[in-house]
Amino acid sequence: MTEVGGSRGAQHPGGGVLLTTTVGSFGKPEYLQKARNAFARGKLGKTELEELERKATTEWIRVQEDLDLDILVDGEMYRGDMVAHFAELLDGYTVGGLVRAYGNRYYHKPIISGKVARPKPMTVDWFTFAQSLTDRPVKGMLTGPYTMLDWSYLESYPTRRDAALALAEAIRLEAEDLDRAGAKYIQIDEPAIHARPEELDIAIEAMGIVTQNLKAKTISHICYGDFAAIYPKVLDLPVDQLDLAMVNYEYKYLDLFDRDPFTKEMAIGIVDVHKHALESVEEAAEGIRKGLKYVPADKLLPHPDCGLKTRPVEESIAKCRIVVEATKVVRQELAKASR
Amino acid sequence: MKTTVIGAYPKISDETGGQALRNALHRHDRGEIDDGELATVQDGATRAAIAEIEGTGIDILNDGQIRWDDLFAPFAKAWGGVSRGPLERYYDNNTYFRQPLIEGKITTDGKTLVRDFAFARGQTTHELKAAICGPLTFATLAIDKHYRTLEDRVAAVADALAAEITGLGAAGATLIDVEEPALVAQPQHIELARAAFQRLAAAGVPLALQTYFFPADRVLELLASFPVAQIGLDIRSRDTTVLRRLDVFGEKTIVLGIVEARNTRLETRDELTKLAEEALKLVKPDRLWLAPTTSLEFLPHDVAVKKLAVLAEAARVAGGVVA
Repeated sequence: MTEVGGSRGAQHPGGGVLLTTTVGSFGKPEYLQKARNAFARGKLGKTELEELERKATTEWIRVQEDLDLDILVDGEMYRGDMVAHFAELLDGYTVGGLVRAYGNRYYHKPIISGKVARPKPMTVDWFTFAQSLTDRPVKGMLTGPYTMLDWSYLESYPTRRDAALALAEAIRLEAEDLDRAGAKYIQIDEPAIHARPEELDIAIEAMGIVTQNLKAKTISHICYGDFAAIYPKVLDLPVDQLDLAMVNYEYKYLDLFDRDPFTKEMAIGIVDVHKHALESVEEAAEGIRKGLKYVPADKLLPHPDCGLKTRPVEESIAKCRIVVEATKVVRQELAKASR
Repeated sequence: MKTTVIGAYPKISDETGGQALRNALHRHDRGEIDDGELATVQDGATRAAIAEIEGTGIDILNDGQIRWDDLFAPFAKAWGGVSRGPLERYYDNNTYFRQPLIEGKITTDGKTLVRDFAFARGQTTHELKAAICGPLTFATLAIDKHYRTLEDRVAAVADALAAEITGLGAAGATLIDVEEPALVAQPQHIELARAAFQRLAAAGVPLALQTYFFPADRVLELLASFPVAQIGLDIRSRDTTVLRRLDVFGEKTIVLGIVEARNTRLETRDELTKLAEEALKLVKPDRLWLAPTTSLEFLPHDVAVKKLAVLAEAARVAGGVVA
């Protein structure tokens, strides 16, 4: 892991302040949804599906450039669930039966049923492909070991810590391959990190294994849970940047930083990804201003609260546009204030 | 020594024909079937769940909560002053519930669950218990724009739940689970919960206080004085010493959660029997019920069925029925 600021810090528009980004996933275009369904029914081959996934990835890279986002993502056109995707590629996992997430939504919750190992790189080709499409930095995107553990059933390790550390070794190999492939940013998501606050030390220990040798700037996305229960201890998570859902909680967690200052870079969620309604640019800008009370502009990155995969394509774009426009407003304010 | 289930049963399965309810809900959302057609499918799924639980050898059944989107949904839909709010993660699970949104005085006719309970009871000759959410759990997970304090909110929810208990009692319920994970998640509120349970108990139907997800170690002695007939304890989700302290409950029945309802690893009969035998050192057999730790809906359907079968078998062995 590098110092904050990163030895590979890219040149960005906006003078390197308030760099805009997104959390990782975007809505899949209709043709890809249909293709995935056809693939699941055995009506479409893997090669044909991958071709459409590359097409959709290319489109999302163009959209992000057109929106003028600073740090891009590949949009995860090749993924369904963030844990199941890796579980399918790692040894030691089996696919479980359907369980309900909420309402009438179900998913196949994976089972850690053997010794976890990474037989081959899982995301490097997608990163390399996406990065080849743009001069702007594209983030390498991984799911963290604690979340991989917590969102899986566990049958084959005696303790949760044992399983988390085994997962960390497998994810470390992937992160180091992304690093070697030139990723300037590697994001290792831990949305489950507050599920059991008493296990925060396990999450920190496991993340330390993943990030120990990386040159890239490291990020971890955390969302939807009791952030207060893990703060300020979560500042010990060995990453450079925490990527936090904030607007969904009406920015209440910023109050925690009055007592214990926030010491990392922060990607701040300023548009809610689980609402169809669009925030106004001014509302989103106000979110950035709230964040600036605690984190300086060169370490604050405006973005949506979470991945946008649950939103239709046009809504994803509209939400991102608000992030960019709100950031422009605040950048101008900062520029005016510094004159 | 009896066996029972707690909470929700898997609504669908991976087996052929096992997704009728899921498909019906999708079709209902698209306007392709009406409320009556959906209700028929829901009744069918309820009937199947009851038959299946009964078939595994479990003694005391429930209706599987097939119509419940989450622990609060039936009440948030039916009560005045409450609606269903935004999604939030449900404790330490990777599942979500809609937060009850309280925007006015909570009111109910007390008949929210009566129809479904009566239907479920008609599907079996076994004893079948009802269930409601706990007042503290509802109140601590709700978004409240009406009541001024947590105390006021808990009292209002408890009064509404007491009306539901009265309604269920009139419909023939002889035992009602009160699912109250908040009591062990936030044990600092135990006195508030006790006052709420006094309101529930006044309705005059025997209650089973079901705690789960978190250990009850810190509040065990205090739980013993709650005005309920049964106390449910989860001894698998986290490390706990309660198995060695079960003698604090006097004449109350203990519903011991010995089957992990949130992990697919299948317990062995011997493993469960040993836990039951450990409990029997401190509790008489007629005051010990064995159960999963919580709702089996956290598991795929096929695993839930297998776990219940092992539970029933372990109870028979521990009870001396099988040599």
